[in-house]
Parts: sequence; structure tokens; C-alpha cells
Amino acid sequence: SMSTRERIKKFICLALQSFRRFRNSLSEHFHQLWLWHKTLKIIGGEFGTSVLSYFIFLKWLLSFNIFSFLINFSFITVPQFIAAEPNNLSFTGLELLTGAGYFQQTVLYYGFYTNATISKTENGASYNMQLAYIFTVGIYFVICLLILLFSMAKSFCRNFINPQTYSGNASKLLCTWDFNVTNEKAVKLKQKNLSTQVKVQNPGDAKRCSNMTNGHPTIVPSRELTQQLSVQLLVLFLCRNIILKISIIGILCYYWLDIVAESKSQCWETLIGQDIYRLILVDFIFCLLGSFFGEFLRRIIGTTVCVSLGVPEFDIARNVLDLIYAQTLTWIGILFSPLLPGIQMISFFIVFYTKKVSLMKNCQPPRQVWRAAQMTTFFMFLLFFPSLIGVLSVIAVTVWRLKPSEECGPFRGLSSMFAAVSEWIKILENYTGSKWVVWIYNNLITSELFFFILSIIFLIITYLYWQIIEGRKTMVKLLRNQIVNVSSSFSFILFKIQDVHQKAETVGFAVPGRKVTWRGSRNHDEKTHHLKESSMPPYSYVSLCLYIT
Amino acid sequence: MGNKQTIFTPEQLDAYQVQNKLNGLFYRYRDLAPQLVPLDYTDKPDVTLPYELIGSMPELKDNPFRQRIAEVFSEDGDGNMTLDDFLDMFSVLSEMAPRDLKAYYAFKIYDFNNDDYICKSDLEKTVNKLTRNELTPEEVRLVCEKVIYEADLDNDGKLSLEDFQHMIIRAPDFLSTFHIRI
Repeated sequence: SMSTRERIKKFICLALQSFRRFRNSLSEHFHQLWLWHKTLKIIGGEFGTSVLSYFIFLKWLLSFNIFSFLINFSFITVPQFIAAEPNNLSFTGLELLTGAGYFQQTVLYYGFYTNATISKTENGASYNMQLAYIFTVGIYFVICLLILLFSMAKSFCRNFINPQTYSGNASKLLCTWDFNVTNEKAVKLKQKNLSTQVKVQNPGDAKRCSNMTNGHPTIVPSRELTQQLSVQLLVLFLCRNIILKISIIGILCYYWLDIVAESKSQCWETLIGQDIYRLILVDFIFCLLGSFFGEFLRRIIGTTVCVSLGVPEFDIARNVLDLIYAQTLTWIGILFSPLLPGIQMISFFIVFYTKKVSLMKNCQPPRQVWRAAQMTTFFMFLLFFPSLIGVLSVIAVTVWRLKPSEECGPFRGLSSMFAAVSEWIKILENYTGSKWVVWIYNNLITSELFFFILSIIFLIITYLYWQIIEGRKTMVKLLRNQIVNVSSSFSFILFKIQDVHQKAETVGFAVPGRKVTWRGSRNHDEKTHHLKESSMPPYSYVSLCLYIT
Repeated sequence: MGNKQTIFTPEQLDAYQVQNKLNGLFYRYRDLAPQLVPLDYTDKPDVTLPYELIGSMPELKDNPFRQRIAEVFSEDGDGNMTLDDFLDMFSVLSEMAPRDLKAYYAFKIYDFNNDDYICKSDLEKTVNKLTRNELTPEEVRLVCEKVIYEADLDNDGKLSLEDFQHMIIRAPDFLSTFHIRI
């Protein structure tokens, strides 16, 4: 029989095991979504990891929208169906393009939702629509924030964003063969690209001679120079696009929050919702058009009219930025049009299949190494920092500062959307069972002192971690220097041993002990010997010194 | 498990890292030679599939390093794999394997003569496989010298596991490129 302690240990072991199994299966089925598994495998097999990263990013954003649509539909829309008012408008096909008209009186927009407390039966369970609306949207954004934060941190941790990478041939040759590529043609193409890169980097004598015999020596720019230029162009392109899109969204938000909201029109939230619907629709249409012109027509031109252009490559940066822009718009629109993620979901589905077909038919695999890992981390950072944080600021301003419209929506008549929560807290004060909720609200959520102290604590922790990182960086540098120093002193010691050996032999003494040979240092000495005990730890050269003396 | 046949005991399930994909991988292994692999693995039968079958898998058949991959993960070093070897291979090559594990196995794959160092001849073979023998011997020699010059930290003329791992740190894409989807 086992003692209590052993029993507890076994129980904890079993509990951890089952938790681990549960977490694995959850992450496998939910987070990774076996949707499109085969398609992604084919894309990766033919085009490599960098192009695949775009499609994985698209699938990831799609999961955000599916999650949002599901919770909005279950918690906000379904109860609204029970308390729905009849729709007197008629449906013409134009609504699909403008979002106005018939759709104005449907669950698509904020204005349709009731501010009543819905109950199916008299004195039965009641459902407070105001609280449901604000809490659903709020909790969704908190979850999004946490997911994005953890994914971004994990990505940073894995990829060590370091702008000095790819400085040499070694990592390029040994670490970048893409094992994902399984298509025979793609493998051959990759091998050809690699051999071309190597040839260009080491122009042989034959090439030099042919350059000279033309009469005038031609200047072939080195590979490093062209690669540096292309990286700089990419960075410039990214910065320009990002600034452009942020400015557009910024101006739009200012227009919506300052002008439309204050305009005393009938139902300004619905108007904003309609604007966002139209923007998303147009963005979707232009995304498809971009695929048509940028890839399909470009391939036609590149293969028939202007053959020197060749077949296009898939422009990963531009497409990912388009996705981030669309997702930002959707996030802004969730408060004003709860079913917008559903529309974006459909749009992402169509975009996925369009891009996939266009990729397979019109594009060639990328020629240059694309730094997929760093780029993915950078795009996730973009999604977090201007995109989600900006959206949260807009939502915060809307919920705290703006006065909801008088005649429509779940918050009609209140001074602000957040007032629904404060009124609920006031009601809760009368129940003794919920005093803790009131306490939390008064002392943690609305208390400025609490947030001030929390900010100070976080700043201190950040500062401490920053100093620790600086210290570790210095230590890494020191250790690296130490490796180089040890190896060069090691070579020096062995040179001395060799010297002593030779002197002893000329004098006539046989020097006992092991035969140690050495390899010349970095100037490619022709004496290529192998160290007999090559993995000697550093302290052993001290013992060798003692042996010599 | 309902009406699904049990292929593995619960202890076996716990021992394998790729728990959720275990059944899928087992069926892929079995599909290579249905007559050799039994459906019931609870008594740990001693079944080895020859390299020719492993190398004909669609995920591996066009990979220039498929022979080395099979040799590294097989028990006998010849590329003939048991189910354990097969699962090890795909778990190291999956997304969830840590960087150090992948670096260790990548090092072993590129070490053609199995002497725990990537020496010049190993590098030459690697370069030839990566470029489909299209380079002249002079160019191959030049490239190998450059690689050793850059990556050899302890100056012994060949790359040890530490040199290789140091190089991996500067290539953050390694985790996503050293990956086979199944």
C-alpha cells in the first residue's frame, strides 16, 4: 500500500498528464484548424515556406473572425431575434453594395438592437441586452489582445529579431534549405537558384576573362550589394504603405468620431457601420482586382508580349498589408455592426481560394531568400501595435466619451455607452450577495489611483528586465570573444609544443607522451593535420604548459 | 475509443510525443507496406521497412537529403526504419520540436561520414546535393572554404555541433524551413 504522499504525487502526475493531453488536443484542433491542411501542404510543397507564411497568416486572421462572429451571433443577435421589430423596408439588390436600405432595419447594424431587458416568459429569466452588448464586445477584445500578445511574444522569442543576420554564406547554405518543398519541379528550381547565387558570388576566371575580352570591362555589382538594395527597397515599400494606411484609417476615425457622432443625425452608429461595410466591400473587390491585374495579366504580358519580364512572383508584403488593413477595419466595425466579422469571414474565404488559384496558375516560386520568420514576427507586431491598439483606443473613446443616439440602439438615452455598466453597478449595490462586484468596480476599475500604481509597477518591472537584457548582451559578447581568444591561445600553445618537439628531436632526446599535431590558423596553411584529442576543454592547455616546462 | 480498433496501449501512447498525430502517422507507415505492418501494435512487433519504401514517400521522394534523413533516424544506420524511428523522424521534423533538437539532427544529417564533425568533404557533398552537381569542383571548394572560414569558431578546420548551433542562432528561419508537413 502506498503512503499518502506517494498517492498525492501519483495523482498530481496523472492530473498533469491528462491536462497536457487535453491542452495538446485543444491546440491541435482549435488553434491549428485542420481546415485547408492539404491545400497548405501543396502550397508549401511548391512555393516554399515564405509564400506559405502568407496563407497561414490569412488562416489565423480568419480564426479571429470566426470566433468573433460566433460569440456575437450567440450572445447578441440570437436574443435580438426574439425581441425583433418588424422590418418595413423592401429589399432591392442594391443593398448588398451600399449596406443601407433594407439592411438598416436588420440585425446587421447597431441601430436595430433593443435596449430592453428581454424575457420570454413573465417573471422568467431575463436577458439584459445593454450589458450583453457591451460585455460581449469588451470580452472579445480582451481575449484578442491576450492571444495576440502571447503569439507575438512567442514569435519574438523564437526568432530573435536581429538585423545583422544573414551576413554570410554559411547560414545561407546550411540552414536555409527548405524541407517543406516537396514538388520535384520546385526542388529543381531551388537548386538552380542556389547554384546561380553561388556562381554570381564567386565569379570564376572564365567569366572574368569573357568580361575583359569584350573590349571594356563590365562592372558586375556584387551579390551583397544587390541584396542590400532589395532589402532597403522592401523596407521603404513597407514603411510607405503602412504610413499611408494608418493615415487613412486615422482620418476616417477622426471623421466618424468627431463629425458623424456629433452631427445629431438619426442613428450615427448605424451610419458608421454602413461606412465600414462599404469600405470592406470595396477593399475586397480591389483585392480581387489586384490579383487579377497584378498576377494574371502580368503573367500574360510576361509570357507573350514582353518576355524579358517573365512570370511574376507572389508579392507577400503587399498582400499581408492588405489583410492587416481589412482586419483593422473589421475590428473597428464590430461595435457598430456586430455581424461584420461574418461578412469578413466570407470575404477571407473567397480571398484564400482566389489567391491560391492565382498563385498556382500565375506565379513562380520566389527566387530570393525572404526572411520569412522575421517578416512574420514583424507583421504580427504590426497587427498588434498600430492595428489592435489603435482599434482599442477608438472603441475606448466611443464607449466612454461619445453620447449614443437618442432613438436607436441598445444604449439609447444614456449619457455614454459605459453608463450602462455604472447603472448596473448601482442596481447591484442593493444586493448584499454582490457587494464584492461593487467593491471591485469602485476600487479597481474606476479608481485612477489603482491604475497609476499599476503603471508605476509595470514601468519598474520593464526597466529591470531591460537592464537584465543589457547585462546579458554584454555577457554574450564577452563569451564570444573568449571562444576566439581560447582558440588562438590554444593554437599558440600547440605551436610551442611543436617547437619543443623539433628542438628535442634535433638534440636527440625522445620526448615521451602523445603525438600532438596542429592546424595552422586562418591563413589557410597547407599543413592540414587533425587534432588527436580535438575536444579538449580549455583548462587542458594549462596542463600542457606544465608538461612542456 | 468506441468502435476504433486499439492499435497502441495507453503506455505506448504516453511515450510517443506526437500523441494526436500518432494514428495518422501509423496509417501512413502502414500504407507503405500493408502486408508487412500488422494492425495491432500492442505487443510491439519487430517490423522494419526498407529504405526504398521510406524514400518513396511523397514528402521525401524529391528531397535531396532523403537518404541522409533516413540513415540518421534509422536504428541500423542504413535507412531501414521501424515505427519508432518513423515517428521520431516526423516528430523532430514537425513544428513543435524545439530548436536545439532540430539543430542536433540537422547537424547529423549534414555529417555524411558520421564522425561528429562537418568536415570539408561533408560540406562538399552537401553543396553538391544543394546545387544538383551543377557547380565546378573549383567553385565547390571555394564555397566550402568560405563556409568553414565563417562558421568555424574554434579553428579546427571543421564544424562541430557548437559551431553549427551558433550558426543556427543567426538564421531564425531555420525552425520553419527544417520542417516537413505530413
